[in-house]
Amino acid sequence: MSGFFKSIVRISSFIGKELRELIRRPGAVASLIFGPFLIMAIFGIGYRGYRDPFVTEVVTPADSKLPTDPGYYENLTEGRLNIVRVSHDEQAAIERLRKRQVDFVVAAPNNAAQQLRAGKQSVLHVSWNEVDPVADGLAQVAVNTLVHELNAEIIRQAADEGFKAAAAEGADVEQIPPEVIAEPTKAETQNLAPSKPDVLDFFGPAVFALVLQHLAVTLTALSMVRERLGGQMDRFRVSPLNSMELLIGKYVAYALFSLVISALVAALLVLVLGVPMLGGVLPFAGIVLLLTFASLGVGLLISLIADSERQAVQLSMLVLLASVFFSGFVLPVEEFIQPVRYLAYILPVTHGIDTLQESMLRGGIGDLWMLGALALIGVVLYVGSLLRLRRVLRSAI
Amino acid sequence: MQQPSTPSPSDRPVVELEHVTRRFNGLTAVDDLSLAIPAGAILGVIGPSGSGKTTAVRMATGMLNPTFGEIRVLGEVPARFSRKAREQIAYMPQLFSLYDDLTAGENINFVAGLFGTYWWKRGPVVRRALETVDLWDARDRLARDLSGGMQRRLELACALVHDPTVLFLDEPTAGIDPVLRQSIWSSLRGLADEGRTLLVTTQYVSDAEYCDRVVLLARGHLVAFDEPEALRRRAFGGDVLQVHTERAVDPEMLAGVAHLTSVRQDSPRRLTVVTADAGKSSPAIIETLRQQGVAVASVEEYQPSYDDAFAALVGADERAMQALAGEKTEPGGGA
Repeated sequence: MSGFFKSIVRISSFIGKELRELIRRPGAVASLIFGPFLIMAIFGIGYRGYRDPFVTEVVTPADSKLPTDPGYYENLTEGRLNIVRVSHDEQAAIERLRKRQVDFVVAAPNNAAQQLRAGKQSVLHVSWNEVDPVADGLAQVAVNTLVHELNAEIIRQAADEGFKAAAAEGADVEQIPPEVIAEPTKAETQNLAPSKPDVLDFFGPAVFALVLQHLAVTLTALSMVRERLGGQMDRFRVSPLNSMELLIGKYVAYALFSLVISALVAALLVLVLGVPMLGGVLPFAGIVLLLTFASLGVGLLISLIADSERQAVQLSMLVLLASVFFSGFVLPVEEFIQPVRYLAYILPVTHGIDTLQESMLRGGIGDLWMLGALALIGVVLYVGSLLRLRRVLRSAI
Repeated sequence: MQQPSTPSPSDRPVVELEHVTRRFNGLTAVDDLSLAIPAGAILGVIGPSGSGKTTAVRMATGMLNPTFGEIRVLGEVPARFSRKAREQIAYMPQLFSLYDDLTAGENINFVAGLFGTYWWKRGPVVRRALETVDLWDARDRLARDLSGGMQRRLELACALVHDPTVLFLDEPTAGIDPVLRQSIWSSLRGLADEGRTLLVTTQYVSDAEYCDRVVLLARGHLVAFDEPEALRRRAFGGDVLQVHTERAVDPEMLAGVAHLTSVRQDSPRRLTVVTADAGKSSPAIIETLRQQGVAVASVEEYQPSYDDAFAALVGADERAMQALAGEKTEPGGGA
């Protein structure tokens, strides 16, 4: 029984020591609390959620009867293109595109009417100069919209002329509005999601999960590496402390610290920035606990691999980078091929983002297997760290 | 502090090293080291930097395995210390390895916790340990704000806080001023007098005078292992006497005196004599010279410093090693 109580004493000593060390760095603690909040606030205030329309030059044949008013073309593209000029010299327009003075050049065909009468399609030449794949995709969407709108406009005008001609010859035609002929169907949409989050609300839980993982990983990795390299581990090796006591002390201390930081950041997110928390506090706390447990395991793994503080920081940054790319933070996990998805599922934050968004924005807990995965990652890393630490502490070299 | 029972002379040594060798990638750090420390004794391990002192301590505390040989501390093999044995052992590392962001008091409180000292018992033991090293007034200062000497003392306090039976102290007096060094050795002597066993490494040869026995290491090799005074005698082949005469004297005049090992003439009226027994030789020298018409002004026993003594021992050891190496390289000279 005395052995059990002494274990409690040793563990509590570790917890106290770790927390004291953390509290002795008030600047770091403040940045941990207010840093994520400030980032989210700036993001929420500064992010518009849309891109500026492409700066576009329309080129029409010199002898065509096409309108020369930029506003006419802007209306056709539903604001996706910002028409700054309507000109007649395609080469000059292309040169301006090369110099990136404009984003888009749309050249109208010079024989559209004859082509239509001849039963042939006319070709609209659209050029852009873009290396950003996202902008490239948006340009393609803008072109499709432009072509769709142009086609609809042509059909509408043709139907209108056809009805007028038939009526002039006394034909009894059932009047179908030209707009309906041009666009026979339209969509009426509804979103059944229980909340209507804006961009800030949607990314809030994701940033929170990412920051929580990064915090737990970095603090744990650095703490253990310092002890390994600073000689403290030698003292532990000679003392009666065992690997489980050391590990539990670290886990509990950093879990307590992470939970306090999480509570403060979450309060700021919900109360100040207005991010919804439909699922309530308990499911949120449960997810945070599991995410913290798994993330501490990642930090310990790094600390047992790294040879220096610098390497520990580098590895922590690599985990952060992998998390940004593969966790669903920026790009949906479903857009990756299957083997890469497995990599994503190894990262605690992948499950953290998904379950926190489900909890906060939908009021549920999402896929239960994700919570199970978080627990499994945590347990596997804990057991691995324990075995490794046992070797470090108790094996003479 | 708990008073360890004073062991009877027949008790097994608390620390035993038998023919211990440790090699690192073919380099021998400790070579065939044998020693034993009885309970309640201070063993000083003295040697220059790189002589194998720290390696010996790390093997005795279970951090390193010997390549050859056997080690027992409290009757256990260090690499497989039981928790009970660990609770009785203290280790003070050579380098400062406490927490910069904790105060002196918090550091020592943490170490007390590591050894399972209950919360309600910590106050007095922390205070006693800090007072032993004269750091009680600095208990609220962050460790990083302490001077180098104070950090060493804090390390020592951490080693004392859990009331250990065996202490392995790796250069506890490094960087500490002579006055405080004396005070620390006085504290260590107090611990030994209470029955605790101490293995203390040091680069300060003069620290030998505070030890019960001394191991002199050079290049991982045991040069000498004995009581400090015996080592001093051994360094010069016996007691050293300085003989001052009223007029010029010839060393040959002492040819018939018993127990003399060597006679050296320092000046026309001064001789340095090495004898196996100063007590018997002194009157014989006076009488022999008087019979030959030389009055003796004084005969004084000369106490060479430990620095001189250990330098002599290391020098003799080096010459012996070189001679051995020479024999081995000569044709037909053994393997």
